[in-house]
Amino acid sequence: MLTDLLYRLRALFRGQQMDSEVEEELRGHLEYEAEKLRRTGLPPDQAMRRARMVLGGPEQVKQQVRESRGTKFLEELLQDIRYAIRSFAKTPGTTAMILLSLAIGIGANTAVFSFTSALLLNPLPYPNPDRLTILWLRSPGIGILQDWPSPGQYHDIVTQNHVFDDSALVTGSSFILTDRAKAIRVGGMEATSNLLPMLGAKPMLGRLFLAEEDRPGTPQTVVLTYGLWQQEFAGDPHILGQAVTLNGHLHTVVGVLPASFRLDHEVVPTVGGIPKPDFFMPPADEARDATNYGSENFNILARLKPGVSVGQAQADIDVIAARIRKDKSRDPSFTISVVSLMNQVVGDIRTAMLILFGAVALVLLIACTNVANLLLSRATARQREFAVRAALGAGRARVVRQLLTETILLSLIGGVAGTGLSAVCILLARKMHPANIPRLNELGLDWRVLAFTFAISLATGVLFGLAPALRAARVNLTASLKSGGKGSLHGGLSLRHDRLRGTLVVAEIAISLPLLIAAALLVRSFAQLSDVPPGFNPQHVISMNMSAYGPTLNTPAKRIQFYQELTERTTHLPGVTAAGAVSALPLTPTVGWGKVHIEGYTPLPNEPEVQVDFRVATPSYFNVMQVPLLRGRTFAETDSPTMPPVMIIDQKMADHFWPHGDAIGKHVRRSDDDSWATIVGVVGIVKEYGLDAGTRMVMYAPHAQLSAGTMYFVARTQTDPNAFGNEITRLANSINPNVPVSDVATMSRRLQDSLARQRFAMLMLSGFAAFALILAAIGVYGVISFLVTQGTADIALRMALGARRMSILSWVFGQGAKLASIGLVAGVMGSLALTHIMSSLLFQVKATDPLTFGSMSFVLLFVALSACLLPATRAMRIDPVIALRAE
Amino acid sequence: MEERLELPQGTLDLLILKALALGSMHGWAISERLQQISREALQVQQGSLYPALHRLERRGWISAKWATSENNRRAKYYKLTPRGQKQLETETTAWRKLAAAVGLVLDMTAGESNAH
Repeated sequence: MLTDLLYRLRALFRGQQMDSEVEEELRGHLEYEAEKLRRTGLPPDQAMRRARMVLGGPEQVKQQVRESRGTKFLEELLQDIRYAIRSFAKTPGTTAMILLSLAIGIGANTAVFSFTSALLLNPLPYPNPDRLTILWLRSPGIGILQDWPSPGQYHDIVTQNHVFDDSALVTGSSFILTDRAKAIRVGGMEATSNLLPMLGAKPMLGRLFLAEEDRPGTPQTVVLTYGLWQQEFAGDPHILGQAVTLNGHLHTVVGVLPASFRLDHEVVPTVGGIPKPDFFMPPADEARDATNYGSENFNILARLKPGVSVGQAQADIDVIAARIRKDKSRDPSFTISVVSLMNQVVGDIRTAMLILFGAVALVLLIACTNVANLLLSRATARQREFAVRAALGAGRARVVRQLLTETILLSLIGGVAGTGLSAVCILLARKMHPANIPRLNELGLDWRVLAFTFAISLATGVLFGLAPALRAARVNLTASLKSGGKGSLHGGLSLRHDRLRGTLVVAEIAISLPLLIAAALLVRSFAQLSDVPPGFNPQHVISMNMSAYGPTLNTPAKRIQFYQELTERTTHLPGVTAAGAVSALPLTPTVGWGKVHIEGYTPLPNEPEVQVDFRVATPSYFNVMQVPLLRGRTFAETDSPTMPPVMIIDQKMADHFWPHGDAIGKHVRRSDDDSWATIVGVVGIVKEYGLDAGTRMVMYAPHAQLSAGTMYFVARTQTDPNAFGNEITRLANSINPNVPVSDVATMSRRLQDSLARQRFAMLMLSGFAAFALILAAIGVYGVISFLVTQGTADIALRMALGARRMSILSWVFGQGAKLASIGLVAGVMGSLALTHIMSSLLFQVKATDPLTFGSMSFVLLFVALSACLLPATRAMRIDPVIALRAE
Repeated sequence: MEERLELPQGTLDLLILKALALGSMHGWAISERLQQISREALQVQQGSLYPALHRLERRGWISAKWATSENNRRAKYYKLTPRGQKQLETETTAWRKLAAAVGLVLDMTAGESNAH
């Protein structure tokens, strides 16, 4: 086997030498034969002649020997490839356009496929990932689509369900880790002991939690993540058994998780909005209370029994939810939804992904159309060459094979170029780093992506090379040889005689238009979105999270004092005009809402319960954010703990309950508060959840009367707000070194980040639309310039008969315009059918927006006509005398 | 001379191996040898001989090297390899068996056929 292979390889690469050896061998053979004949008495020259006659021609023998070497196929392939390269070099323009088309088509697909591969195809890094689910409370009737369940609900689900074989109660919050050089804020997950095993975590040091640690009264233990262990404990191998101080309490380290274990906010969005946990600990006492329905701050992760679908689980949970709805008199729209963990992670990006995939599929289709078209033109121009080869005895199969070799070679080169292009795309995507697009860190050109690229390259080559190849192989020998490979004098000028080519261009334009329109819709929609007033002024505001807890800040008075002092000292910084704090800053993951009672307001029998967003703010918060005060007053220093409680509500709440504008002086009460508070002011509506999201009614309490430990501190500056992040952090540390500061960002930055997903989708689709436009231009150019080349004689004839150059020009443009307009009509109809799919991605722009449809049609027409410019000038420059003589 | 035999597929390979078993030879010598031994019944054409030699070389049953012949001419000499030797033995046995079996069938008379 091995000798065989070595022999064939030698034959392949040293074929020339082997040929000359055979030649020498045959010459020797002839001389021996002649000598033998000489010995019988013939004269030398006669002997030689006889010998030649007996032995026959050496050429045929050489050919037979060559065939016996088993390298015929490979040799011919190499020959074909060499020939193909030579023939590409002869038509560099067409070749470049084909390669560009292929690179764009394949590159765009590879890029999107790698996104899909990272986002949708890579399973989550947990055992049985498709059986993992997360449970959410939903009350769409009052605008709550994703709320956190309570321990009581967890208990109900655990005891009453028939579909889960395991479930864990989780909550995440930030903690202050002291007893290090400096206090830092860390994210911790309090979870029942079954969470980590359910997610397949195995400790790299020590152990995970024991079932008995779920019960109250057990020693407080903690399992560190690899990251925290490395960063704060320098990977100390003797960490087990050591104590760490979290929020002032001692916890014993019992284990360390490996670096491979990940549990991001994407997977389990916790109420505290920690990006990822730094450690795990057993549940707090309130989590172990099965009657605790009040604290809706938990996540429930549950694993489906084998063979149970999410739909079946939902049906089972619906029964439990109905019971809770009745027993606890929840809002009539209350349900508990079961969401597969994968959907939780990928979420609404799936629609965008599918649209992108559709878009690149169209781009590839256009690219392939182009390639087919260009190859067809090329093949037609080469008819004479094929005719000559056919005349020389090349079989049809041989010609088809030659052409297929060419196209496959082209598409493979195109594939390589496309891979390079997609690598650039991926690099750009990573650089943009859209914060809220999940799993981008997993993006890359893995084997699956490369296999995909190779497959589409090959498929493109075969599919779109086959038709032109078969067509070229069917050449009419005599006609082609006679006409010299040029189009005949009659009919060369009209597309009527080449319907296929015209149809391809029409199709190309028809496919490009929906892409252009889709991209333009996203661009318009993004512009609309960016124009939405956020309800505050994001310019010149720096913001940061602070956690004022711990032994030195363990009373409301101390916390109030801390924020007052920080506000005062910050305001005195040169360049700062105002400073304040709020418990939940717009565009951050912090939240807070609850049930309220309105004095004198009895809900109608079927009316949903009244839930409003609830924030705690310092007096100057509204001033810093420039949230307009519409009526009444903002908080004052006099709103102290000893004074009657007050509240500020937003316009939305005021309009809802007091549509006649008499909200000031009315009373409201939070359901976990027993005293009524007086409304003293009404402020503007703030887009808390992003510019594209709806708003809910908001109620603010003064920080002096209802202190919160964790707040976002904000300051308005006169100059670049970024410069103040460190300074304010230093101030906070100097007032109390045990207050960690985190998540420092300007409000403009937060606003930009909140639009990252929309910007990303818009840029991607715009990129593809630009590709489509380039491809369409290439397509039109290819066909029109082919038309001009083929029609040279006809044009010359017309010129000779007195046609003016202008009429030639208008004829060429007319051909382009005709193709483009048919394509546009088809494209508009296609767009109408397609764009409604993306309605969910649009913001205040209709999927059938006439302005977008019109302007994009115009752009496409313009590009198509521009592509005719070069061929048109070429047509004008035809010299009738020379052209006709050449005929 | 006129009554030439057509060699069945693969037989030429076997004959070449056999010829080379007697010693290394160049191409012409092989064809001469086969012709002589078969008493002129087998005349190997160049067009069959050389492809066969290359085929056998590819399979590693023979090896070739250039050398100077007895009358001072450069020629390519073929030699049986150990693997070729083994191949020759297996094929010879197989051929003998086949020939004997075919012979038996061809020699069959009516009586024998009935006896079975």
